Amino acid sequence: MTLVEGTNLRKTYRLSRRTSVEALRGVDITIGAGEMVAIMGPSGSGKSTLMHILGLLHAPDRSDGPMPGLRIGGTDATTLSDRERTRIRAQWMGFVFQSFNLVPTLTAAENVALAAEYAGMARGKAQSAAREALASVGLADRAAHRPMELSGGEQQRVAIARALVTEPKVILGDEPTGNLDSTRSVEVLAMLRKFNRERGQTFILVTHDPEVGAACDRIIRMRDGLVASDERVADVRAVAA
Amino acid sequence: MRLLRELSRRKLRTTLTVIGITIGIWALVVFSSMANQINGLVGMGTEFYADKIVVTDGEAFGSSPMRLTEADTIAALDDVAAVEPKIEFLWEPDPPVGFSTPHLVSGIVPGADAGHETFDLELATGRLLTAEDEGNVVVLGATVARKHGLVAGDSVEIRGEAFDVVGTLQPTLASPDITGLIPLATAQVIYLGDLPPLVAESLEAHEVVSQIVVYPTEGSDFAAVASAIEASVENSATMTGAEFNESVGATTGIFTAVIIGVATVSLFVGGLSVINTMAMSVAERTREIGIKRAIGGSRGRIIRELVAEAAVIGLIGGLVGLALGATVVVVANELGRASGNVLFDLTPATAAFAVGFSTILGMLAGIVPAWTAARLDPVSALRYE
Repeated sequence: MTLVEGTNLRKTYRLSRRTSVEALRGVDITIGAGEMVAIMGPSGSGKSTLMHILGLLHAPDRSDGPMPGLRIGGTDATTLSDRERTRIRAQWMGFVFQSFNLVPTLTAAENVALAAEYAGMARGKAQSAAREALASVGLADRAAHRPMELSGGEQQRVAIARALVTEPKVILGDEPTGNLDSTRSVEVLAMLRKFNRERGQTFILVTHDPEVGAACDRIIRMRDGLVASDERVADVRAVAA
Repeated sequence: MRLLRELSRRKLRTTLTVIGITIGIWALVVFSSMANQINGLVGMGTEFYADKIVVTDGEAFGSSPMRLTEADTIAALDDVAAVEPKIEFLWEPDPPVGFSTPHLVSGIVPGADAGHETFDLELATGRLLTAEDEGNVVVLGATVARKHGLVAGDSVEIRGEAFDVVGTLQPTLASPDITGLIPLATAQVIYLGDLPPLVAESLEAHEVVSQIVVYPTEGSDFAAVASAIEASVENSATMTGAEFNESVGATTGIFTAVIIGVATVSLFVGGLSVINTMAMSVAERTREIGIKRAIGGSRGRIIRELVAEAAVIGLIGGLVGLALGATVVVVANELGRASGNVLFDLTPATAAFAVGFSTILGMLAGIVPAWTAARLDPVSALRYE
């Protein structure tokens, strides 16, 4: 079943009056429910832009070219208002960032509960959901700590708990292991893989890291704002062997 | 609760802003209390003059004597219900120069107002003067009594003579507090002695007064009565309630305007300081706002969070400012009470207004930065270092 479907996705960023960057130049992408996909490519290849569009943080360009299409779980997301896109982000999506991006003044539990509240949960329910989510990433005993009192690996696990607390359909990761050493990277990847397998949640991970790619089912390689290749990991392994 | 914890985790910034607001609200509370007190006094003056006309000598601003016989002339006029001759002079002939109001001695004829005086005096100890009193007896105002530590039965010295204290009064927060009341005849002798020898030579003690208080009949035209008095008594000047309001009301009106102006400026500065802090806070938290937007925090929610935060800063600033202002008011009034200078009147309405105003000011100051924050592009906000 298709969860995310994008066609003709284009995005040009205007940097100044004269210079602009064509970050995406017409990308077609289909991601099925329960897939774990890595989007890889060199800097400037458009992989982050693609993630921002799939995550409804930016809208695709609609002028100067073929009309883009974007469907998330069957909903046409091409022309949604900011309010509707925000609601879909809150209820359907989870985000994990390279630099963890926890709110520094809130405790781990409060950070996680915040996402649950944004998704519409009542405060009490959000708090118990936050405790459960923290337990599922092995941080039940760190609930009352603030981000600066946690290690990088722990912070990223809190961020994963925050992304999972609403039981979203899709979790988007922007270099989720980028700031972690290799041991912590492996831990975090194993955790993501586990949630993907056990709960059937879809993961879209933008990454430089071949390890992350290897942990996924599918690798989409980007180059110059276009999809350069789209391969199943099993196939990649077969070719390498 | 989470909001308070968030604020408490940004102690320095929160404290600095709260101080900014606090100063504004402190000024508002203190200045408004001062305005309240002045308006109260003016109100009392208005009440005092409402039912009477005060007649003084037209020359030398009323410091020259009038004649007691002129009271009879006035009493014979139309629409005059009662006349009350009076003498007022300073307790000490040369009072020390200072901030405090000099105490007064007032020579009165008890009962001369024939029940028209509506300003009630309540006793703390002893009794009021009666028409039968003569010689050196005195009823002391609350401030005078407190200054000398006197109650009925004690004795006090006025102008070198011993007076028996027959009563002391409850505080009125008005001029009776700083006045000693003595029989008119006793006052006439002292008053005559105070006059310049050239003036005093031609007068007898029993014929001088310093002012005549006239009570016109109810419903009569006070201005007409005042004109009639000025026409029949040579060199006389009259002051009616309307004239009092005009002269004093105009002055205090300006004073109140200045006070409110000062308080408004302080609040404006306080408000700017909240805007500044909230704007800085938004800049400082750009990334955090980006995170909240990305994980599904709506614009409305971001605005509500920031505006609520600004409102709480305003509320705390208001409460602290009110507490500091109230402290100043209470301490200054306690210190001033001994010398009869109660300068402030902090009413519940003023207190509620100060705190409410401060909270609303905080909210208003928070709206623009909050709006700016909510408009941020989450992606660029997340990249912001």
